[in-house]
Amino acid sequence: MTTDLSNVRNIGISAHIDSGKTTLTERILFYTNRIHAIHEVRGKDGVGAKMDSMELEKERGITIQSAATYASWKGNDINIIDTPGHVDFTIEVERALRVLDGAILVLCSVGGVQSQSITVSRQMARYKVPRIAFINKCDRTGANPQRVTDQLREKLDLNAHMMQMPIGLENDFDGIVDLVTMKAIYFDGDSGEALREEEIPADMAAEAAERREALLEEISMFSEELMEAVLEGGDIDPALIYDAVRAGTLSLEFTPVFVGSAYKNKGIQPLLDAVSAYLPCPTDVVNHALDLENDEKEFEVTNDADDTLIMLAFKLEDGRYGQLTYIRTYQGVLKKGDTVYNSRTGKKVKIGRLVRMHADEMEEIESCGPGDIVALFGVDCASGDTFCADGISASMSSMHIPEPVISLAIIPVDNKAQTNMSKALNRFTKEDPTFRTYVDHETGETIVSGMGELHLEVYIERMKREYNAAVEAGAPQVAYRETITAQAPFDYTHKKQTGGSGQYGRVAGYLEPMEEGEYEFVDQIVGGVIPREFIPSCDKGFQKSMAKGSLCGAAITGVRAVINDGNSHSVDSSDVAFQLAAQGAFRGAYMKAQPVIMEPIMKVAVEGPSEFQGAVMGSLNQRRGMIIGTMEEGNYTVVEAEVPLSEMFGYSTTLRSLTQGKAEFTMEFATFKQVPKSVSEELVKKYLEEKKGE
Amino acid sequence: MAKEDLISANPLRVLGLDNKAEEGTQSLGLVMARAGLGKTAILVQIALDSMLRGNRVLHVAIGETIDKTRERYDDILSKMVDELSDEEATDISRRRMIMTFKEQVFSRGMLEERLKDLIEQDVFKPDCLVIDGYDFDGNGRKHMEELKELMAELGIAVIWFSAVSHREDPRTSADGVPAPCHTIDDLFEVVLLINPQDNVMKLDILRCAYCEVEPGTTLLLDPSTMLIKKS
Repeated sequence: MTTDLSNVRNIGISAHIDSGKTTLTERILFYTNRIHAIHEVRGKDGVGAKMDSMELEKERGITIQSAATYASWKGNDINIIDTPGHVDFTIEVERALRVLDGAILVLCSVGGVQSQSITVSRQMARYKVPRIAFINKCDRTGANPQRVTDQLREKLDLNAHMMQMPIGLENDFDGIVDLVTMKAIYFDGDSGEALREEEIPADMAAEAAERREALLEEISMFSEELMEAVLEGGDIDPALIYDAVRAGTLSLEFTPVFVGSAYKNKGIQPLLDAVSAYLPCPTDVVNHALDLENDEKEFEVTNDADDTLIMLAFKLEDGRYGQLTYIRTYQGVLKKGDTVYNSRTGKKVKIGRLVRMHADEMEEIESCGPGDIVALFGVDCASGDTFCADGISASMSSMHIPEPVISLAIIPVDNKAQTNMSKALNRFTKEDPTFRTYVDHETGETIVSGMGELHLEVYIERMKREYNAAVEAGAPQVAYRETITAQAPFDYTHKKQTGGSGQYGRVAGYLEPMEEGEYEFVDQIVGGVIPREFIPSCDKGFQKSMAKGSLCGAAITGVRAVINDGNSHSVDSSDVAFQLAAQGAFRGAYMKAQPVIMEPIMKVAVEGPSEFQGAVMGSLNQRRGMIIGTMEEGNYTVVEAEVPLSEMFGYSTTLRSLTQGKAEFTMEFATFKQVPKSVSEELVKKYLEEKKGE
Repeated sequence: MAKEDLISANPLRVLGLDNKAEEGTQSLGLVMARAGLGKTAILVQIALDSMLRGNRVLHVAIGETIDKTRERYDDILSKMVDELSDEEATDISRRRMIMTFKEQVFSRGMLEERLKDLIEQDVFKPDCLVIDGYDFDGNGRKHMEELKELMAELGIAVIWFSAVSHREDPRTSADGVPAPCHTIDDLFEVVLLINPQDNVMKLDILRCAYCEVEPGTTLLLDPSTMLIKKS
C-alpha cells in the first residue's frame, strides 16, 4: 500500500468504439512489466488482450465490462480502468469516472472525434475529471492528428494542444517529436521497448519550433514563472513547462494531446510519462461526502490515512467465490478483518478478504489506504454504497444512472432454463443498474430493459454461456409514454356508504399539461373542504393513475393535477377513500384532456464513407427519421438524424448491407415526441385487443 | 404570433427576392459584415422565413458544427415565435437540412457531389440554399459563375451567401459593396451590409434588383436578439 499519495494515479481509459483503448492498455501493462507478452484484441493466437477477460469480449473483439488493473511506472503507482466504448455499456464508463482522478481520452487519428467520444467527454466533464488525449492509430491510412486536435476544440470545446508531433504518418509513421524537450523519440526493439532520442529531423525543425512557440504561448497562461521566462526569451527549463501544463490540465482548462500507435508500439512510454506528469494524484482532486448526522451537510474528504475510513463501492461482480465489490478509498485505512458500516443500510460488515485486481486475476493484500482501488470479497451491498468506519456516518454522492430505452420479452426454453435465468437476472441486475428486469403481470412475460440492442444481446448470450439458461427473445418493446395536451376539469365523488363503515371522498379540480417535468401536484384547497391529512392521499391517488394510461397502457408523463375543491365525511373519509376519489377523478378527466401517445426519439449518428451518404439518409428517412444534417470530414461523412426508436430495430443489418459494412452508427435517447396518427391508432388497437383477450 | 402574421410582418418582405424566385428565375443574395457582427443570424432569419413559407432550405455551414448551427435556428425561432406546437416545430424542422464542411475540406466539387447525392437520390431537394462561410478571398468571379450554373442545373432558385469584409480594406464597388465582393457584386440580386453606427445596428440594402424599396434603405437589427426590424 502506498502512503505517499503524490505518486498514485487512478486513471480511466475511455473512447469511442475501436479507438484502441484495450490495445493501449495491453501495451501499458507490457511496458510496466505487468505482463510479459503482448496479445492482440483480435489476435491470431486466440489468446486475446489481458483486459478482455470475458470470452464474449475476446470473440467479438469488444470490451464489455470495464476491467481494473494497476501498474508501476517510474515510481508512480497507476490504477487503470479500461472501459467500453459502446454507448450500450455507458454505465461502466460512469462507474469508472466516478472514482477515478484522471482519464486518457483515446481517439482514432482517422475517425477523430466520434459520437461516443462526445458521450465519454461529457461524462468526464460531469465528474470534473482532468484528461489527456491520445491520438492513436497514426500508422493508419488517412491518419491526421492535427485534424483530430482541431475536432477536440470544435466538437468537444476543449483547449487542446499537441505536445508532440508525429514523425511521418501512415506507413511512414516512425516516431514522435517531443515539443517540450525538443527531441525526436524512436521506439526500437521487437515491441518498441527501447527508446532512442535523437535530434529533430531537419525537415521538421521549423514546424516544431513554430508549434512549440504556440504551445508555450498557450500554457504560459497557467504559470506566471513560465510567462516571464517566455517573455525573457532564451532557454526554458522543461520543469516550468511540465508544471504549467499540469496546472492547466488539473484546472480542466487545458487538454494536452499526445500521438502514437499502440498497435505499432509507438508513443506509449511518453504517454505514461504524461500520466505521471499531468494527471492528478488523489490529493489534487477534491471529493465531497455528505454528513448523514448533520443534515447531509457536504464536507471535503481528507485523503488522510489517519482519518476515519470512508470508501465507495462502485462496481459489483458476482463470481465463483461470491460477490466481488470494487471500492475506492477516500480517507482512512482498511485492513483485512476490520468491521465497517454500510451508511445506506446501517449494517455492519466484516472485511474477510482484500484483493488488488489485475483484470480477472487477484492478488491478496493486507490493507489499503486513501486513493486505492481494491476489491472486497463477501460484502453484500449495492453499487454506490458508502462504507465508513465507526465514528462517522457519511455518504459519497452516487453515480448518474441513465434510464434504459429498450426492452425485450425473454422466454426460457425449458424449466431448467427458467431457474437458471432467474439466477442470472438476479446477478446481472445487481451488477448493472442500467439493466433491469420485471415480470409483466398481465402477460406473465419476463421483460429485460437496457441501453441498446447490443446491451441486451450480450446479457442474453451471457445467460446462455454462464448460467446455461437458453432463452428466446420476443419482439423488442419500446417504452412509450402518454401525456395530455389540454386542460380538463374533474369533479368526482367516491362513495360507498351501504351500512357499517363506508368510504367517502370528493375531489374537484383540473388536469393540465406540463411543459417540463413528469408530474406535479398542486393543492389549492381552502377552507379545509378536504382535511389536510387527506391531501397527500389525493396526491398518491393521482400518482397511481399515472402508472398506466388509457390509450395504450403506457406510463403517463407531463401532467399537473390541481385540486381546488372537495368534500369529506366526518366518519367515512379516509386515506383510501381519497386515493380512490383521486383515481376516479383522474380517469374521468384524462380522456377529456386530449391524451396522446409519445415515443422515444433517438439521436442517431451514422459514420461512413461519403459515397454512401445518400443511401444512408434514404434509409433513415424510410424509418420516419428526420435528417438534421451532415458533417463532411473529407472522405467520411457523419449523418445525424432523429429517428423513433421503434424504427431502429435491425438497423445495423440494414446499414451493413447498404454500406458494405463500412459504416457504423450509434444512437442515444434524445426526447419523447408525439407518434403519428397511424402509429397511435395501431398502438391503441393493439392495446384494446390485448385487454379484450384477458 | 400566428405563422401567417409572422410571414407578412417580416421586414424581409421588402426585399422581394423570393417572389421572383417563385417565378422561376434564379436569385443570389449576399450578407456582408466584419467578423462577428451577425451575418449568420441574418442568414438564419432569411432561411426561417423561407421555411415558414413552405420552402425547403439547405444550410451549408463552412467551419461550423451541426449542433451549433442548429442551436442558432432554435434560438432565433424561439425569439421570432412565441408559441409553436410540436407539430409545427417538426414541420418546420423537416424543411431544413444542415450540411457542414471543414474549411480545408470544402470545395465546389465536393459541394456539387453532395448536393447531387441529396437531390438525385430524392433525399432532400432544397428550394433555397444558404452558404455560410464561403471564402470569397480565395474564389473570384469564375468560381461564383460556376456555382451559379450548378445551382441552375440543380434547380435551386435562391442562394444566399455570407461574406466577411475587413476594416483595413477600404475598396468598395459603385454601390458601396465592400471588398472582397466589390468586383462581383453584379452577380447578386440583393446585397445587405450590417453596419454598426452610433450604438445602432443597421442593415443597409446596398443592392436590390426586385425590391419594393429603394436601394440605400436601411433596416435595423435588434442587437439583443439580432432580429431584423423595420427602421
